[in-house]
Parts: sequence; structure tokens; C-alpha cells
Amino acid sequence: MSRLLADVTEMFQEQRQYRELLFQVTYRDLLLRYKQTAMGFAWAVFMPLVNTAVFAVIFMRVAPLDVGMPYPLYAFSGLLVWNFFASSLKFAVNSLTSNTGLVTKVYFPREVLPVSCVLVSTVDFAVASLVLVGMMVYYGVGFHWTVVLLPIVVLVHLLFTVGIALLLSMANLFYRDVKYLFEIVISIWMFLSSTVVPVERAGGKLAAIMQWNPMLPIIDAYRDVLIRGQVPPLLSFGGAALVSVLVCGVSWLMFHRAEFEFAENV
Amino acid sequence: MANASVVFDGVWKKFRRGERHDSLRDLATSSVKGLFTRQRKTELSDQEFWAVENVSFEVKPGEAFGIIGPNGAGKSTTLKLLTRILRPTRGRCEVRGRAGALIEVAAGFHPDLTGRENVYLQGTIMGMKRQEIATRLEEIVEFSGVRAFIDTPVKRYSSGMNARLGFSIAAHLDPDVLIIDEVLSVGDMLFQRKCLQRMLDYRARGTAIVFVSHHLASVVQLCQSAILLRNQTVMIGDATAVVHHYLDQTSSGQITAEKDAKVTLRATLSHVDGRTVDECRPGETLVLDTWITALEDVGSHIVPAFLCNRMEDDLVIYDVNFSGAEEGWGGLRAGETMKMTFRFSCHLTRGSYNVGMNLYDPHTSSFVVKAPRLANIKVFEDRTYAGIADLAARMVLARPESERQAEDLSHAGH
Repeated sequence: MSRLLADVTEMFQEQRQYRELLFQVTYRDLLLRYKQTAMGFAWAVFMPLVNTAVFAVIFMRVAPLDVGMPYPLYAFSGLLVWNFFASSLKFAVNSLTSNTGLVTKVYFPREVLPVSCVLVSTVDFAVASLVLVGMMVYYGVGFHWTVVLLPIVVLVHLLFTVGIALLLSMANLFYRDVKYLFEIVISIWMFLSSTVVPVERAGGKLAAIMQWNPMLPIIDAYRDVLIRGQVPPLLSFGGAALVSVLVCGVSWLMFHRAEFEFAENV
Repeated sequence: MANASVVFDGVWKKFRRGERHDSLRDLATSSVKGLFTRQRKTELSDQEFWAVENVSFEVKPGEAFGIIGPNGAGKSTTLKLLTRILRPTRGRCEVRGRAGALIEVAAGFHPDLTGRENVYLQGTIMGMKRQEIATRLEEIVEFSGVRAFIDTPVKRYSSGMNARLGFSIAAHLDPDVLIIDEVLSVGDMLFQRKCLQRMLDYRARGTAIVFVSHHLASVVQLCQSAILLRNQTVMIGDATAVVHHYLDQTSSGQITAEKDAKVTLRATLSHVDGRTVDECRPGETLVLDTWITALEDVGSHIVPAFLCNRMEDDLVIYDVNFSGAEEGWGGLRAGETMKMTFRFSCHLTRGSYNVGMNLYDPHTSSFVVKAPRLANIKVFEDRTYAGIADLAARMVLARPESERQAEDLSHAGH
């Protein structure tokens, strides 16, 4: 117990000491994106938009689906949130292994690397959200008071993403298989999170099992507070929030304890 | 302050040889094995070795401490332990205060960012605050000497410019403890001197310095005390004494040639007047006598050569071939012994040098015998500031007595 306390104090102290590093590394990645790509942030909008168009054709023309709101709004909100999650992790999984020079030569809290990947994606997410606002106006969805709950939803989502990002980057450092495994898992996970099709449609036991996926209530919570104007269901969203806090805390602790072996194993 | 800034107390560090399991398949087998055999932390399996074995030292504020030793002796590991990149298997290592590490000065650089952007990035990685960097930016750029290219992406920099900028950032950290690994080898001579001066300034201000280098001359110049590592402590103490011990170790025992050598060698170094010497003053004439016994025939086409190298870094100072004919060299028959004498003038500046010889076979492009360290000379003088060759420069002054003479003098200069 005392070791836990010592570790946690050390973790927070380090973060305070190096707080500017996280922003500097995030800034670096954003700057690089601007320099290396002609379209810069437009890519952040482009990807969910193209996917939305594809799924809109399928589920509006080929196999019409009732989702309780205009389908493009449903798909775009889902894909936008999902894209944030998936791209954070996609960058984070390689964040330690692609910075070998830094990891083996300089001491700094290594959390900075995966967490900055999440922050970069957060900026993309914010930019792409403007399109969602545009779509909401287009479909005549007004703003509900529930929008004040949005920061809580984003926070829960961020905690969960950071937790998984820490875990993945660390696992990939020790076992490079993780990167490939991740590719498979993430594409299946997308469909299990009601991004484009409500999973309740699966019905029965399968749907019941899928309810345990924390991303499901998180994505739906976004739709609740923004589009439906409802308070997210306390049980499922509260559960997801609890899981997120736990995942984030436990992964961070694991990450911190394994940190000293990174330089030897990378 | 009597308290040490750096404490390295009975530190052991274990490393694995060979490949680690890198995929899940290997993990499965090794973790099953791990279930049945429990290994204690202090034991070595056949795959492991001690990179650092029971090493202890302390560095006080205002003190510079050198770490020397051959490659793979655990020098860099020691620094990584100090900078917390690695954690010791056993023992305690502690750095008090803000530590600045000059290990890989440009590790955080991103090739696509400009010099200026990289200064901020690298500075924060090293633990500086943005505000601090902003106030020191001018100084950093000035010190690096790459001002003209500060807004150019560093991928267009030469490796020297890269390293200079990196070093400049690190040199402006203002740390309590400075940990330096072989960074002086970057940059040109002028920049190296500037770096050394910077470190001497830090030392004078009370910064504790830990310095790893193969450039033994700068270890002696910077450090008061030093340790010679060969995974364990070989010697610790006064820097000059440790460096000399290291040099003695590396220079002796290498006189004997390779196992299947065709000749055996014995040599003595003496002053031209006959007394044996191992020290001299610039300009004195010395004689290296070598007795060569041939074990197999050595043909007359073999070329003898005389060599002189600087001890600290094996810098070649002189390497001269004697094609043979004019000295009456006609080779050696098996079993024959010959005395070969090299007479030379020692126009060197203070320092330690090795003299030796080799026999080269131009037909096979190989050496019959290669013995660059047959004897060692220490040259004593205190006139020169830097350099190797004693050009025996003198200064002559003249002051004009009349206006006409002054004119003559200035014309004579042209």
C-alpha cells in the first residue's frame, strides 16, 4: 500500500515537472502534420465524412434502417467519436517503438509519448466536430440543455482512450505482435460500438454480451446529450465511466512500473 | 556543501546476452519455464552478464569525475543508470538536484522541424521550461554558431551542425549535475575547445560533472578524479594517475606480435648518448634499437617502417618506410637475428607517445610484424599551448630608431 502511494505521488510529481513536455510533443506532432501534408486538418474531417457517405448509401438506399434520427447524423456522430478513439490508439501503439532514440537516450516520463498521440487526435476531433454542428443545423436539430453534460462525456471518453493507449504502447514495446493484433481488434470493435448500426439489432444473448463494451455507452452518450437531448442512462454510462477511470488508473500505474524496463527492451 | 551530488553505491547491473523473446510465441514458452524455475535477482543465468559489477563512487559539487575504460566496459551503462534511463539490479544510485544529461544531444530532434522549433522541443525533453528556453534562445543560437540556418529544417543540417545545436541546448540547461557522454568528439576543434571551456565554467560555479570520454587528454584537463572501468572498478582516484594507469595497461603486452608471427622482436629506447630513457625534451635525438629474430625466411622485398603515434588516441604522427636497398637490407633467413636501429629527432610537444616499427609485405599486402608500441616516450616542455609538433618557433622583435628605418621595416614585411 505504501509502495502504491509512493508510486502515485511520483507519477503526479513527474507530470507536474514535465507538464510542458506533453504540450511541446503534441505541438510538434500537430506542426509536423501541417508541414508534411498539404491538407493538414482537412484529413480529420475527410475520413469520417467519406465513411458516413458510404454507410449512408448502404443504410438509406440499399437496406434502409431506422435509427431514430436522420441516418447521416447517426453515422457521422458515431464515426466521428470512433475515429477519435481509433486514431489515438493507432498512433499510440507505435509511439514508444518509433521513438527508440528518445526512449534509450533521454530520461523523461514516457507516458508523454502515447498521451500526446491522444491529444493530437483530440485536436482533430475538435476540428471535425464543427462538421457535426453543421449537420445538426442542416437537419434542424436544436441545442438541448443536455449539452452541458458534454464535458463529462468527453472526459470519460478521454480517460478510457488514454488508459488503452498506455496499455497498447507498452504492450507493443515488449511484443511487436500487439500492433497486428490491434489492427484486427479495432476493426471488429468499431461495429460492436454502435458506430454505424445500433448493436441492439443483434438481439438476444449476443446483444447482452455486447453491452459490456464500454465504448457502446460512451458513443451513445454523445448522441444523447447532443442530438436526442437526453441524460445518458445512469447505469450503463455510469458503469462505463467507472470502467474508464479504473482502466486509466491501472494502466498508468502499470506503465509507470514497467517504464524502467523500456530502455532495455525496446 | 559537503553532501555529494552524485552517489553511486555498490551498483550492479545485469544484462541479457543474445536475443530476447520478441513475440508472443516465445513468451509462452519462457513463462512456462519461469513457473518452474525461480531465479534470484542476484544470480546470473547463462544468458546474462554483469555490465556493471559493484561499482561505487561519489561526486561532490564543483567536482568533475571522469569515467574511462575500453569499449563495453560499462561506461555508458553507468551514465544511463545515473540518468534513470536504466535502473540498477542491485545497489543505489542517486543524483541530487537538477540533472542535465549530454548523452545523445540531438536525440529529440525531428528532421522536419526547424532549428528553432527543435530547440524548444529538445529543451523541454531535457526538462527546461518554455519560458527558460525563450530567454536563453539567443544565447543558445549564438553558442551553436548556426544562426544563419536556425529557421531551416534540421534535415538539411550537416551532422556537425546538428550536434553543435544539440550541445548548445544542453550547455544552457544550467544543471546542478551534468552528465556527459563523449559529446566533445563532435564539432570542429574550435567548438570542442568552447565546449570544454563551458564545462570548466560550470565546474567553477559548483556543478558536479560526470564525464565519459575516450579522449583521455580532455579527461585529464577537466576532471580531478576518475575511475577506470572494466565492468568492475579497476582503479579509482586522481584523474591523471588513473589515465596513466590505463595507458600503461593498454600499451604493454601488445609488443608481441600475432600468434603465427614469422619474427620475434625485442627493443630498447635510448638517448643518442647511450643512456636509456623514457622521457626527453623536444628536439633531442633518440635511438630505437630493435633485435629481430626470424622464425621463417623474411624476403628482401619486405619493407621496414618506423612509426610514432600519440599514446592517448593513437594519432599517427610519423610513419616512414625504408625501401631497404640503400640501408643494405636484404631480408633475413630463418633463425637469423639482426639489429635494426632507428634514429630520430623528437620534435614533439609535451605528452606521451609510442614509437615502434613494422615489417610490411607489399606482395601480400600484409604485415610480417606490426609493433607500433615498442617503446614509450614522455616529452616534457611547458612552452606550447596546444598541438603535437614542436616547430621550435622563436619570436624576434625590432623597434625602428628613425622614420626611414620604420619605412624600411614595413617594406621588408611585404
